Amino acid sequence: MDILAQLIVSGISVGMIYGAIAFGYQLTFSTSQTLNFGQGEALMLGALVGLTTVNFLIGQSIATPLAYLLMLPVVLAFGCVQGVVVEVLGVRQAIRTGSESGWIMATIALGIIFRNLAENIWGRDALKFPSPLTETALTIGPVHIQPMEIAITLGTLALALAVEVFNRKSIYGKAVVATSSDRDAAGLMGINTRLVITFSYALSSVSAALAGVLVAPVTLTGANMGAVLGLKAFAVAIIGGLSSGLGVFVGGMILGVAETLTGFYLSTGYKDVPGLVLLLIVLSVKPSGLFGKKGIKKV
Amino acid sequence: MLSVSNLHAGYGKVQVLHGLNLEVPRGSLVTLIGANGAGKTTTLRVLSGMIAPHSGSIHLSGTDITGWPSHAITRQGMAHSPEGRRVFPTLSVTDNLLLGGFPRLTGARARGDIDADLRRMFDLFPRLDERRQQLAGTLSGGEQQMLAMARALMLNPDVLLLDEPSMGLAPKLVEEVFATIARLKALKVTMLLVEQFAAAALEIADTGYVLENGRITVSGSASDLRDNPKVRAAYLGSAH
Ligand SMILES: Nc1ncnc2c1ncn2[C@@H]1O[C@H](COP(=O)(O)OP(=O)(O)OP(=O)(O)O)[C@@H](O)[C@H]1O
Ligand SMILES: [Mg+2]
Repeated sequence: MDILAQLIVSGISVGMIYGAIAFGYQLTFSTSQTLNFGQGEALMLGALVGLTTVNFLIGQSIATPLAYLLMLPVVLAFGCVQGVVVEVLGVRQAIRTGSESGWIMATIALGIIFRNLAENIWGRDALKFPSPLTETALTIGPVHIQPMEIAITLGTLALALAVEVFNRKSIYGKAVVATSSDRDAAGLMGINTRLVITFSYALSSVSAALAGVLVAPVTLTGANMGAVLGLKAFAVAIIGGLSSGLGVFVGGMILGVAETLTGFYLSTGYKDVPGLVLLLIVLSVKPSGLFGKKGIKKV
Repeated sequence: MLSVSNLHAGYGKVQVLHGLNLEVPRGSLVTLIGANGAGKTTTLRVLSGMIAPHSGSIHLSGTDITGWPSHAITRQGMAHSPEGRRVFPTLSVTDNLLLGGFPRLTGARARGDIDADLRRMFDLFPRLDERRQQLAGTLSGGEQQMLAMARALMLNPDVLLLDEPSMGLAPKLVEEVFATIARLKALKVTMLLVEQFAAAALEIADTGYVLENGRITVSGSASDLRDNPKVRAAYLGSAH
């Protein structure tokens, strides 16, 4: 029983990372019916840029926790720029020409380019990301939990909450919701829907980059850290709903827990299996129409 | 105010409009009538930038807006209440109205008094007043139509395009919609009205145009059109 509780708690923080990446898929899919298959690479780049920034700041004899906090705005800004680059290079043309699949190949290709770039800059080896919080686990009842795992959960939820508040309260957020619901009608409101799509790509990469620097201290950081995460989060996004809602975080947590259970009761070697099986199920149950136009849209 | 000359447009390679000329003077109500498929909706879509014209020109308040994207045309002062209403179903009535005023709220157009205009809309459409926080998707068809018109008015438009505001409504609501249009006319709102109820539209309009297969075949004052035997036969459901 105690072990089960422990496995669930450990699974949740991993699941929040899936949730954050899937949330990014959702942000762009709702506005443009496209998404960035290089989300995992956006996470990886965020983590590596974060690592370099943190190491630089520590080199200026700034304490690690403070260095970590100072690094956050840098990484978020980087995520913004990276998302815009993906949209401009990989997606914009496909949307303009109404291409059904051009963006799929383009974002996969960009992801590979980003990975190669990262290998050349940071090398192929996994690197250690200095943890801003103590690595001694807290003990709550029967459960041990890393402070960084709590930070992962709170950080990703804070991001999702911030986006939700923005969408509900600000006129610009409402413009994003309007664009998601009916792009032509949003244009008639004077909303520049192309800009909204670019913005959603920026926000999507921001959420991946944030997930990257949150997960980096508890895992290994390197050019290859993102690919599998991105795939599994894709399955989560399909299950949790690509159009909207916070279902992706629930889906992410379920997958995270399923993985720690598998890792413990079967073998850590099989840890990635549930997510990839989920992906296969998703693809076979919804082979077509995965990216179908939304049903609610009336013309 | 709105002036269209020799407009050609369509979808892809299919041409729908073949050289349209149209004038909507300031403060007037102009109606565009025509059979199903004549190109009325297409005309309004080109005017508001939802589709780009193949050739020809469109001027709004003296500015050449030909080929502009729809958000820019809206910011310039053209409001379009589209066919099928197209309200944002997951947003509240108030949020839909605020989005109608998006260019004003974001500095792309003179702000004026947004709150006063919201109150004006609720006075003009009391049914919306009772449902301010209700999601637009849960409104009845008639209420959605009111909302689509009110949302367009929130722009403080120079020209308001209305595409079949009476479509799919019960007779009593159709009357209500026409009464509202008459009230807007009294308020000197410049309007281009597309209607299936040609008789009712010509009753309240100043000027009328008849569109057939993408060409204007008859135009003139609304009263002339009402008396025109051809128009009566084809659109007013009577031959005498
Ligand atoms: N999205 C589209 N793609 C291709 N052709 C279209 C599209 N929309 C309309 N058409 C065609 O353009 C022509 C004009 O259509 P339009 O909708 O402008 O007519 P309308 O006068 O508004 O008719 P109605 O009274 O039925 O609303 C029709 O032949 C129609 O089939
Ligand atoms: Mg029509």
